[in-house]
Amino acid sequence: MRLRTLLAAVAAIVAVSASVLAAVALAGGSSTKAPRLTVFAAASLTNVFPKIDPHGRFSFGGSNMLAAQIQQGLPADVFASANTKLPAQLHRQGLVTTPFVFTANRLVIVVAHGNPLHLTGVRDLERSGLRIVMAAAGVPAGDYTRTVLARLGLSDLVGKAVSQETDVREVLAKVALGEADAGFVYATDAKTVAGKVSVLRLPPGSQPRVLYAAAAVKSSKHLAAAKAWVKRLRGKSAQKMLRAAGFLPIPH
Amino acid sequence: MMGRLLAGTAVFAAAAVAFGFLLLPIVAIFSRVSPGRLVAQLSHPVVTDALVLSLKTNAIAQALVLLLGTPAAYLLATRRFPGRSLAVVLIELPLVLPPAVAGIGLIAAFGRFGLLGGTLDALGIRLGLTQAAVVIAVAYVASPLYVRQAIAAFEEVDPDLVAAARTLGAGRTRTFFRVVLPLARRGLAGGEALSFARGLGEFGATIMFAGSLQGVTQTLPLAIYSAFDLNFTTALAMSALLVVVSGALLVALRLTLQWQPSRPTSRFLFAPSR
Repeated sequence: MRLRTLLAAVAAIVAVSASVLAAVALAGGSSTKAPRLTVFAAASLTNVFPKIDPHGRFSFGGSNMLAAQIQQGLPADVFASANTKLPAQLHRQGLVTTPFVFTANRLVIVVAHGNPLHLTGVRDLERSGLRIVMAAAGVPAGDYTRTVLARLGLSDLVGKAVSQETDVREVLAKVALGEADAGFVYATDAKTVAGKVSVLRLPPGSQPRVLYAAAAVKSSKHLAAAKAWVKRLRGKSAQKMLRAAGFLPIPH
Repeated sequence: MMGRLLAGTAVFAAAAVAFGFLLLPIVAIFSRVSPGRLVAQLSHPVVTDALVLSLKTNAIAQALVLLLGTPAAYLLATRRFPGRSLAVVLIELPLVLPPAVAGIGLIAAFGRFGLLGGTLDALGIRLGLTQAAVVIAVAYVASPLYVRQAIAAFEEVDPDLVAAARTLGAGRTRTFFRVVLPLARRGLAGGEALSFARGLGEFGATIMFAGSLQGVTQTLPLAIYSAFDLNFTTALAMSALLVVVSGALLVALRLTLQWQPSRPTSRFLFAPSR
């Protein structure tokens, strides 16, 4: 009797899971002949990449984390990083094809919407009692933040941050939720939650060169498609969508 | 005959697969790098900071869990009131909640713009991204394990013994501390061990609500996550450390649950106090 109940429960679970899977498969539609690519992309590309390829499978996160996952052999077809260093490193290790720079960005400071603390710029972050968040060292946004602060002679702010986040969107979330007073993110990140944060610009000379590079992962089962995907990022339609999201043109 | 043999083989094969599946990741953590290198990694400041912080925040959280969870469990175990089953279900709910849901819930409750955010702000308290937030996250996800076990332990205490203590003149408080607690202690210890193990492993709610800062809010699981890309060996070493600690807790739990007192302590429970 007990066993029968157990078997019935197992059967029910299997049936429910199977029908959910079937529904998902139907909804997903298998109409596309092109393979669905798995794209490991910088967190700052979260909003724009699904627009560029609605059929792609995306894993967004800190570029450094994604690079480590590729090094550990996780199956990705494309790697798009918020810097050029990580793709170049993976390329040297023979893991990805030659990386292409496909867009650029700017680093900004985000504060609570309406700037209730009346912060005028990066130097005001030295005020005591401010809760500053930034991405950790190694995360591209974290490295850019450190570059900016070093250029401005404000490196002590790194030690004053109340949290070192694992990707730039975590920084944005902490400020948008009001848990932190200020954070360093990309201009494009700030645009995604425009009603929740206000933006402070960084002094002109301090801005780092924020370049995004992408490459196909050599172990990909769809290497040709992956290479084409990367190439398409430099194409007109992708560039238009990137521009609409606030990304900057590829510098020459 | 043949059928029975086949069935037996199938069961054995399934068990072997299940066992191997559960064991392999643990074996992998220890086999990928030599033990010497693992131990050497443990002196890394990231590791020592995270270890100290994990122990500290978990100790505070568990003190809170014991202090608040024990009376709650006793109440639920001994009183019958309308809505009791619902209360038990609600207390157990964080147990099955995905950590990300717990994190969102904590931010929605205690965050700056959360339900209590305004009140806390007026008192000059900001919990998000602080060590207090780590303690709250740990206590939130770990306490149900203790409370549910404690309810069961208190329910197993023979009500006749409690009644006897009362008729012999022991007050409620005295009865609780001299009769109920000693009789329930193994169940309580078991629940506490499980709760501690769960708290040590807390990740999702912590990273969302408390952030990650070395020496302040970066517990061992968070340190493992952030070391994953920079230094895989350090991440392995910290993982090995947590496997050892969690394994030790599990062994301690089994021993506590199996251990039989050499003499029934209840015989002396009603003796007049010294």
